[in-house]
Amino acid sequence: MSLILDTLHLSHNGEAHLDGLSASFARGSLTTVLGRTLAGKTTLMRAIAGLQRIDSGTMERDGQAFGTLPAWQRDVAMVYQQFINYPHLNVFDNIAFPLRKRRLPEVDVRQRVESVLSMVGLSNFAGRKPSALSGGQQQRVALARALVRKADILLLDEPLVNLDYKLREQLREEFRGLLTSQSDGTVIYNTTEPAEAMMLGDRIIVMHQGRILQTGTPAEVFERPANTLVAGIVNDPPMTILSGRLDHGRIVFDGGVELAASAHLKNLPHGLYRFGIRATEIEPSEGRGIPGRVTFSEVSGSETFVHVETPFGEAVMQLEGVHQVTDGSQIGLSLAPERLFAFAADGEGALLRAPGQGEN
Amino acid sequence: MGQTGLRFYKFSFLLPGFLVLLAIILFPLLFTIRVSLSGWDAIAPGLNWAGLTNYAHVFSDGRFWEAMLRLSAMAVGTVLVQYVLGFALALLVWRDILFRRIFRVLFLIPMMTTPVIMSVIWRTIFHESLGPANDVLGLIGLGPYPWLTSANFAMAAVMLVEIWQWTPFMFLLLLAGLLSLPREPFLAAAIDGAGPVRTFFNVTFPLLVPVSIGAVVIRLIEASKIMETVYVLTSGGPGTATETAGYYIYIKGLRDFEIGYAASLSITYLVIMIVLLTIIAKLLVRIFIGRSA
Amino acid sequence: MLSTLKYIAVVLWSAFVVAPLLWALTTSFKTANGVTGGPTYLPYIGFEPSLDGWRSLFGGAGGIDIVRPYMDSLIVTSSASLISIVLGTLAAYGLSRFEYRAGFVKNTDIIFFFISQRIMPPIVLAIPFFLMLQFLGLLDTKIGLILVYVALLLPIAVWIMVDFFDGVPRQIDEMAMLDGCTPFEAFWRIVLPNSMPGILVASMFCVIFGWNDFFFAFTLTFTDTQLLPVAVVSLNSSVTPWWSLSASALVSVAPLILIAIFVERLLSRGTLAGAIR
Repeated sequence: MSLILDTLHLSHNGEAHLDGLSASFARGSLTTVLGRTLAGKTTLMRAIAGLQRIDSGTMERDGQAFGTLPAWQRDVAMVYQQFINYPHLNVFDNIAFPLRKRRLPEVDVRQRVESVLSMVGLSNFAGRKPSALSGGQQQRVALARALVRKADILLLDEPLVNLDYKLREQLREEFRGLLTSQSDGTVIYNTTEPAEAMMLGDRIIVMHQGRILQTGTPAEVFERPANTLVAGIVNDPPMTILSGRLDHGRIVFDGGVELAASAHLKNLPHGLYRFGIRATEIEPSEGRGIPGRVTFSEVSGSETFVHVETPFGEAVMQLEGVHQVTDGSQIGLSLAPERLFAFAADGEGALLRAPGQGEN
Repeated sequence: MGQTGLRFYKFSFLLPGFLVLLAIILFPLLFTIRVSLSGWDAIAPGLNWAGLTNYAHVFSDGRFWEAMLRLSAMAVGTVLVQYVLGFALALLVWRDILFRRIFRVLFLIPMMTTPVIMSVIWRTIFHESLGPANDVLGLIGLGPYPWLTSANFAMAAVMLVEIWQWTPFMFLLLLAGLLSLPREPFLAAAIDGAGPVRTFFNVTFPLLVPVSIGAVVIRLIEASKIMETVYVLTSGGPGTATETAGYYIYIKGLRDFEIGYAASLSITYLVIMIVLLTIIAKLLVRIFIGRSA
Repeated sequence: MLSTLKYIAVVLWSAFVVAPLLWALTTSFKTANGVTGGPTYLPYIGFEPSLDGWRSLFGGAGGIDIVRPYMDSLIVTSSASLISIVLGTLAAYGLSRFEYRAGFVKNTDIIFFFISQRIMPPIVLAIPFFLMLQFLGLLDTKIGLILVYVALLLPIAVWIMVDFFDGVPRQIDEMAMLDGCTPFEAFWRIVLPNSMPGILVASMFCVIFGWNDFFFAFTLTFTDTQLLPVAVVSLNSSVTPWWSLSASALVSVAPLILIAIFVERLLSRGTLAGAIR
């Protein structure tokens, strides 16, 4: 283990941004931190970088405490959401800046900058000022400046969030290649998008309100979300959570809607639960299923998202293709019982059973 | 816990400037307060103790309070005229006018010139028989006027020079404000069919309220120190007709050498100015920003 | 119709603005006869022009030797402006980037402390300054005046630069620190090169206020050091030779009139809008 964070606390104006957060990061690994806006992801990075002071806790790297080092001695590189470059320097000098700061021989500087420039595909733009580049190119420069140092810790704070959709997809591909080539550094990548986290990370940390809710591989987090909050965060659109009862092998919602519980839920004790289901696994049904009223629907690309208000909670249904759904119309939802997650009815709603789990 | 390095840098940025200012301003100020409690004058120089006798004297010094009143009238009067003129000029050369850059340069010139030096020139202009002021007015059948030798005309002359000198400052701040305004509200007003007058009162003026308050307050602060113009143009005369607080204190302190008394006058002057200017600034903010917020 | 009125207004004000300068220009070519002959405006037509006024600037009869006060003014103004800009920029950067706290005093209070110095009437400071400089042996010296002018100009520099730095994205200096710069290096190598417009505006105001001060130069210097305004005003007596007065006045205000051109350029480029708020 290379980087170990132990019970970090940080509050600002009486508001806790990091609330006893502990985590560890291995060398040569890429960890994505997934969480909604204001979950404390940026604060975490700023604390690691030394740009914000933690109130308590320790940070250790290779067995050495580094939480007390000033930012300029930490060997941490960072890429911001905003495209931050030095406005008065051209692309080449921007990227060369950290190397020259370390007094590397100019020959090495030239060679390393040129190699990074070609990695990010900006070899023809070396003489330009950042302001003469597009947003995507500016962010590539920022990434190049972070990569060229081969820093011990590389932090990326939602680097693609300010780019348009197409460019984001394309850069995400590029970034994956570039970041995994950083073999012996620790890379941490903040994102609000589950798809991005799944695709990039060896490991995902799910954060909420300054705390870590779950750590695991993309598959673990996606297939076994630790609780309802995680289930909401790692699914886009968020997982639908409905309150119901398990009674003699039946899932019962108040008002007489019942489903036969599938095998994985059968041996759970009777009682109250929260049942979760992904948007893709809900289908409209005529007259049967869970009754609800459409609050609004949105078409995104080739999919339609239908938001439905039911007596048991808000539901989001994802339909393939473009559908016309009238707002306010009544609709029935049919759920695939074998795709249901069962969460505890109380507290944070800890995961009790996921699809395909505990059948024997 | 923390970044030991940061503390060091944090203070090395601020402290040099802070300490220099503190040393150059604070000690003299404290010293003035001490001197104001002494009877230091030409006969008995030195820091003896006179208690509050100077202040008691200030209280009944009619000439001082007249000078304060006169100064307030001058300051408020000239600043208001400067504001209206400066705003009008800024609007005139804001957009679509030929040679606007040349006019802008011309309009800025007076604030760049040295006030006392220009006052010397103005003094020749106001000369009753040899100056052009009466000559030009004579062309339209007015005058000749005793510019610097009659009380009312001397006041007018001083205020005219102040307006000439400092209208450009208002003009500069307001034009900078106008040039930084967003375009959208004006487009919206144009789409609504608002004429120039309505656009001004509903869009331009409200958007410029913060700049206006800043400019007026800065000018009031500077105008509350009026004294050099008076010194050169009229020496406070005729009689004491144009004497301002600063000039009166100057006469008491550095000409009559009643240092202790002058010090107590200047502390009184300073306190009144701070109080009045704070009240005015707060009132302006409350009236113009409080209401629209 | 409206636009004709507009042009009339603009031209009238322009005339008012330049009138004193033109009057000074024409007077500077007059002789005693030209002046006592009453107000005349055009050379050859109204009066017989002469270069006496301009010659008097360099020690000619009835004038002042303008070279020495000019140098004194240049030295005092530029030194005081430079010191104020350096100290003011550093302090402003600190106030814009770090949090200071001492009891109930916070950043805004410190900024207010700096700016509030402008409220101080010169006369309040004149007597203690006089005694202080006397005590330090700096009365009637350039160094003494520079010291005093720093107190006058520093608040201007801080006021303009705090506003300016607040507009420079903080992430730029953070990035520089992560790249291995100490806060001072980040300031020097990254923030400063991107702050030239602000520094330009602040310097300009410092120079204007420094060059144009009269009162402190008048009360704190006598013979060894003499600044331009004092030198020119010393000609302001009852038997004034108006021609040399006018010539020296024009020479004194000329450099700052050039600043007006420069200010207009900043204004049209939008730099000033950002620097003055």
